[in-house]
Amino acid sequence: MEPIYFDYAATTPVRPEVREAMLPLLEGTFGNPSSLHRWGREAKMKLEDARARIAAIVGARPTEIVFTRGGTEADNLAILGRTRKERGRTVVCSSIEHRAVLNAARAAEEEGNPLHLLPVDSQGRVALEGLAEVLSAQPAVVSVMWANNEVGTIQPIPELAQQCAAANVPFHSDAVQAIGKLDVRVDHVPVTLLSMSAHKIGGPKGVGALFVRKGTALRPLIHGGGHERGLRAGTEDVAGAVGFATAAELAVKERAHQCERITRLRDRLQHALEARVPDLVVNAAGAERLPTILNVSIPGANSEMLLVMLDLEGIAASSGSACSSGGVNPSHVLTTMGIPADVAGPSVRFSLGRETTEKQIDEAIAILPPLMERLRSTSGV
Amino acid sequence: MQDSRTVLVAMSGGVDSSVAAALLVEQGHRVIGVTMKTFCYSEVEGPSQTCCGLEGIMDARSVADRLEIPHYVFDVERDFTRDVIDDFVDEYAAGRTPNPCVRCNGNTKFRDLLKRGAMLGCDAIATGHYARVDSDPTGNPRLRRGIDPDKDQAYFLWSLPPEILSRLLLPLGALTKPEVRERARDLGLVTADKPESQEICFVPTGNYVDVLEERLGTDHPALTPGPLVTAAGEKIGEHDGYARYTVGQRRGFGGGHQRRLYVIGARPETREVVVGKIEEVYRNDLELGELNWLGPSPTTGADVSVQIRHRAPAAAAHVENLAGGRISLRFDEPQRAVAPGQSAVIFDDDVMLGGGRIERTG
Repeated sequence: MEPIYFDYAATTPVRPEVREAMLPLLEGTFGNPSSLHRWGREAKMKLEDARARIAAIVGARPTEIVFTRGGTEADNLAILGRTRKERGRTVVCSSIEHRAVLNAARAAEEEGNPLHLLPVDSQGRVALEGLAEVLSAQPAVVSVMWANNEVGTIQPIPELAQQCAAANVPFHSDAVQAIGKLDVRVDHVPVTLLSMSAHKIGGPKGVGALFVRKGTALRPLIHGGGHERGLRAGTEDVAGAVGFATAAELAVKERAHQCERITRLRDRLQHALEARVPDLVVNAAGAERLPTILNVSIPGANSEMLLVMLDLEGIAASSGSACSSGGVNPSHVLTTMGIPADVAGPSVRFSLGRETTEKQIDEAIAILPPLMERLRSTSGV
Repeated sequence: MQDSRTVLVAMSGGVDSSVAAALLVEQGHRVIGVTMKTFCYSEVEGPSQTCCGLEGIMDARSVADRLEIPHYVFDVERDFTRDVIDDFVDEYAAGRTPNPCVRCNGNTKFRDLLKRGAMLGCDAIATGHYARVDSDPTGNPRLRRGIDPDKDQAYFLWSLPPEILSRLLLPLGALTKPEVRERARDLGLVTADKPESQEICFVPTGNYVDVLEERLGTDHPALTPGPLVTAAGEKIGEHDGYARYTVGQRRGFGGGHQRRLYVIGARPETREVVVGKIEEVYRNDLELGELNWLGPSPTTGADVSVQIRHRAPAAAAHVENLAGGRISLRFDEPQRAVAPGQSAVIFDDDVMLGGGRIERTG
């Protein structure tokens, strides 16, 4: 059997079209976009074209797009860029944010901006009740992800953004998992700041962007030349920006078709596992979810061994937050949803993508149930 | 060549387990490498709040990559703390000298490997210990000393569950340490010239008293002053905490004692440390508890050889009595520094019969 990659929420392969679009910028058009000579002008033109294309995808103006070195940097710029502008004011985020937001918010807390975490329900949805009171304290920023990376829960972003806008509080959303899968538009939804990443949608790693609505006061984190309107110093990665724009356009163009196809594959896998693995729990099953994510728990099984067994069978999935050395930490997302690891058993996230095939789903349906049963029967001895 | 088996090999990141894994790959087995994270050094090693940067884990992974085998990290910190570190601290507090590696091998490491190996469909588990597993004439598996007398580690393995032997591979038992290093260099392993690891993995400072002070508190009776007495009961001074001393140690005790004094025991109930002349450190008899037999248990009167610490030569002894889960042994010649809490391991020539914890000496 060919190995099966079910970890598209972690990262995706660079699409051939993206590679083709990037190559001329790595080979020929190598200029520094800040230079006034023709090499520089040519590079600058490509960079600005990429910026305009990304802006168009989310309904922003080109001047509202700041290129960053990835989604994590975009999140840090949004959170710390705001809190350093508004020292002493609260930073608010949901308790199931990606660690890029959570740990940036904790850093802001250490710098003197009190941290307020918004609770979520058992499906991972941020509660809207009580938000008005939180907003009345005029926080420096409120941050809620568009869709969760571990369980896939889609957040009520329009409502949150509107409430924040009404209270005149900047609202940030990490849309890294949502771009290309959901209709993410800053012209329809009044978000102030929006994080994006290229490598989750077939673009290169190390490239991202932050949408910064016109008129938003933000302090830069990286100082140097006045690149990116003073918000992100450093010579721009023009090839990366072009790759990102190409990937984003393709993802948005194919969105309806791929979402329909992937939802069907995901549901088929989910129903097969539910039918064949007794007690299996589908996390966030009651929420509106990303079509690409299936997160399940297996009560009574050993938490570390599941991914190891999957890897040995040639199936790539993920669990909690993988540590770079290969250890696995319990998921803060499930814990905060009221599903502690030692009660619910290990959770595993299968995330599907553009390259996922019917045949892979058939194979997974054949392999996974006996493997999960073996895991359970040899655990807890 | 033996049959190809699926083997789970414990890789600490040191040279020995690296070569063990390499030999198994060479022998044609399907090898899965694992590093057991027993203890988090993050508080000692700097700003990182996780164990991701642990050098041993990185080295083991690098060797596994080189051997093109999968490698995983198993977090056994909770069990290890409960079964090994807590016991280590309790033993010192009770005035004994524990042997944490034996405790870990018997309670944590091999049991965990066996269990996880079963989950992963492995036929065998392996480690880089210098000891051998082979079969006796009737076909039963037995544990023997490694052939390198300087490195033999059979002593640390007496506490293994006996059912493990039939599924245990120890590829280094027939090699010497210099041979192992040479193999590591030939294979280009990053760990080839790594120095010998420290003795106790959870004592990063190298001084076990630091761990006791952290876990017991510096005001614990085991770590605070008490009377220094002779075997006859004469108080000759003060010591600074009985857990700081080990039987057989020669120590400069404050007060300018001219005589050479050796620690011969501790009495936690009175906080006394008993000291005496070198002759008083020798013992003829010992009684073991927590017995574990890997081979046939000897009968009363049998002649055996007994090893009372790592790297000590085995001494001739005979079995005085074996009953009620305890064994009494009498040495032919008195032995120096027989420390309660330490392991005594019983051999018939180089074949391990079993062992126990030293509970009483006489």
